[in-house]
Amino acid sequence: MKGLLKGLGVTLKSMTAKKITTSYPDEPFVMPDRFRGIQHFIPDQCIVCNQCARVCPTECITLTGKPNPDPEKKGKVIETFDINFEICILCDLCTEVCPTEAIVMTNNFELASYSRDDLYMDINWLDSNNKNVRKDNNNIGAPQAGKGGAKKDV
Amino acid sequence: MGSWLDETLTWGNTLIFALWGIILLVLVLGFVTYAIYFERKVIGWMQLRIGPNRVGPLGLLQTVADITKLLIKEDTIPRKADRVLFILAPALAYVPAFGVLAVIPYTNELYFADINVGLLYYVALSGITTIAIVLGGWASNNKYALLGGMRSAAQMISYEVPLVISVVGVIMVSGTMNLRSIGEQQGDWFWQWNFLPQIIGFVVFIIAAVSELNRTPFDLPEAESELVAGYHVEYSGFRFAFFMLTEYVYVYAIAALTTVLFLGGWHAPLAFLDFVPGIIWFLLKFAFIVFFLFWLRATMPRIRIDQLMGMGWKVLLPLAILNVFITAVYLELFIKG
Amino acid sequence: MIRTEELLLNVGPQHPSTHGVFRIIVKLDGEVIKEAIPVMGYLHRGTEKLAENLNYTQIIPYTDRMDYVSAMTSNYVLCHAVETLMGLEIPERADFMRLIVMELQRVASHLVWWGTYLLDIGAMSPFLYAFRDREIIIDLFNELCGARLTYNYMRVGGVKWDAPEGWIDKVREFIPYMETKLVEYDNLVSGNEIFLARIKNVGQYDAQTAIDYGLSGANLRCTGVDWDLRKVKPYSLYNRFEFDVPLGKRGDCFDRYLIRLEEIRQSLRILKQAVEQFPSSGDTMGKVPRVIRPPAGEVYVSIESPRGEIGCHIVSKGKAEPYRLKFRRPSFVNLQILPKLLVGETMTNLITILGGIDIVVGEVDC
Repeated sequence: MKGLLKGLGVTLKSMTAKKITTSYPDEPFVMPDRFRGIQHFIPDQCIVCNQCARVCPTECITLTGKPNPDPEKKGKVIETFDINFEICILCDLCTEVCPTEAIVMTNNFELASYSRDDLYMDINWLDSNNKNVRKDNNNIGAPQAGKGGAKKDV
Repeated sequence: MGSWLDETLTWGNTLIFALWGIILLVLVLGFVTYAIYFERKVIGWMQLRIGPNRVGPLGLLQTVADITKLLIKEDTIPRKADRVLFILAPALAYVPAFGVLAVIPYTNELYFADINVGLLYYVALSGITTIAIVLGGWASNNKYALLGGMRSAAQMISYEVPLVISVVGVIMVSGTMNLRSIGEQQGDWFWQWNFLPQIIGFVVFIIAAVSELNRTPFDLPEAESELVAGYHVEYSGFRFAFFMLTEYVYVYAIAALTTVLFLGGWHAPLAFLDFVPGIIWFLLKFAFIVFFLFWLRATMPRIRIDQLMGMGWKVLLPLAILNVFITAVYLELFIKG
Repeated sequence: MIRTEELLLNVGPQHPSTHGVFRIIVKLDGEVIKEAIPVMGYLHRGTEKLAENLNYTQIIPYTDRMDYVSAMTSNYVLCHAVETLMGLEIPERADFMRLIVMELQRVASHLVWWGTYLLDIGAMSPFLYAFRDREIIIDLFNELCGARLTYNYMRVGGVKWDAPEGWIDKVREFIPYMETKLVEYDNLVSGNEIFLARIKNVGQYDAQTAIDYGLSGANLRCTGVDWDLRKVKPYSLYNRFEFDVPLGKRGDCFDRYLIRLEEIRQSLRILKQAVEQFPSSGDTMGKVPRVIRPPAGEVYVSIESPRGEIGCHIVSKGKAEPYRLKFRRPSFVNLQILPKLLVGETMTNLITILGGIDIVVGEVDC
């Protein structure tokens, strides 16, 4: 009987304890900076190196480039860039290898939709997804280029 | 109220009786609505949650919304189910649950049927619900439902016996089975209520009553983690609502019965507090028991079927019989002599 | 003539207490189980086969999804295997980070087990209490590596993120908080007579049986076998810290329950020492070639996950992808004893025993 009464005591005490419910849809969750949400893509910075598409474990990124329209500049510019969020697992590897930080994580995570087709995001959508962009991208996997490279600070 | 019952039955009287019945039904439905709300709130608080708070102010209309949803839901009957019994079971479960409320007195003046075997009537009628649960479990043609039904039959049979015997002590002390007289005979001080002289009977009664209600820790017929939902796994819509309604009406009935039998009914706990109307005291005690049931549910794990049976037959029944003996000896030595 | 029949009952794959999509076919005589056949594979995703076409960094997110209640230990076992194969040294600070997250993960994992086990037994509140406290750990992880469940935190040669500012202090504050909560848990459940009656002497087996079936973790230690890989084969930095390995005597569900609660305490003890000794500076990533190409060869490493011995066997042909990758998943191995334990038990005990083994279906089916 003692154990039962102790248990009753705990639940009775909890009745007046602080509640942990959050009113989530009314008040948005504020995620920490490192949170891995839906990617933001900056077409101007992309050098079409294909690293992100290659490192993606689920092969959810498809991209094509075209020669730079400005004949004075070498290299390619991005033409299409699609992420299929049906299979993207937001593992952070694409942002980790990107040498120019053209693809970065945001803190947005609300992707629910009524159709699977809505989860197929193209370059324009990803470009416009520019709110709550992650500040610290820590792209340790990227080659020594730009301000990337194996960062030791943080 | 009592004077009406003694009058000859005329059309006018019948109408009044029917009206009172409907008033009681509405009251009980109101109780069920807010008991569910209250239960969800209390358990929510105990689990560090807020509980329903979206529908209506403070979530007060949550249960109304839930019931509306249940009522307009598609009524499914499994193809291989025994159609007649499947339809019959929820009604058969509910009718006795409402029937037993007739004998419960609320105050000395406010009561519906003044039967001299009121207690017996209660016990006899509430047994019918068991049959309905077994029927529902069997008619669903579902293995989980069948297991739930079997458990329910075993449980109810083994707990009805100690439940009845535990109140024998009260009957002996009061010398009547009329619930109103039992309530009336308890004094105006709380130590004159039956729960202290009949402490063994009281404890056995509470345990057996919780078991009769199929509530945690005795919710084996439902046992959502083992039997998914037990006997009502195939029920949906308003048939399911009827089973739920039955459960909560029994909560109402048991809480009222405990109040009348053991907690002094409408009497104030201290004699000088009797300026407060009896109905208030009744409701307070009643609410406390309902709260206690919810509190138990928030705390207890579920007991196992063999332990349940073992406890019913090996612990509660001997205790209840012992209580009868002690009461008899006490009456013989101190009251009669 | 009265004839009785056995009842063939499908428990699962959709059942509230099978902890995911796991199915047991039981033959019931009344409520007594005559035979039980577990059916697994509903959550099989072919991780091991997929891994043969992925390079090692890409496999790490897949390990998150194996034991999704304890992703950090799965992360670690893969990285540890690759590092062992390549002979890599990892910086001390990275090792400390790994150890801290693994021990936090053990606490979180046992909390999930505790809550869901009590839910199986029929008590609802403990589940929410446990998740309240687990939420703190999850938030810590979220702040550290940006995900709440599938962390993808460790990398071959170190960890992806260093601790953010104030993170270690938050871990330090969490330890005494959790200790007080453990007392509350004991008050709420551990002494509850109904609960004790439910789990004492249920699902009993002896040490020899446990070893024969290859059980590990709390399922083995409940029989009194002193086998904790953190002590027996110290990996990471475990030989630097003091902690006890709780052992049982009876080998029943109650012992497994007590051991898991005690392991939370011991993990807190390790954490307490680890945050004290945490190096104030240092690298979190060792010197690792950009393309990880382990030399040809084989390696098997095993560590103590919350569920038991999780092992990783890599056969490398010197390429960036493993030739063959095999995980020894403790949930899967521990589950093998289930049919034996269930015979002669009641339907209710099925849930008690299955819950006591502590499976994660993602790991069983891999």
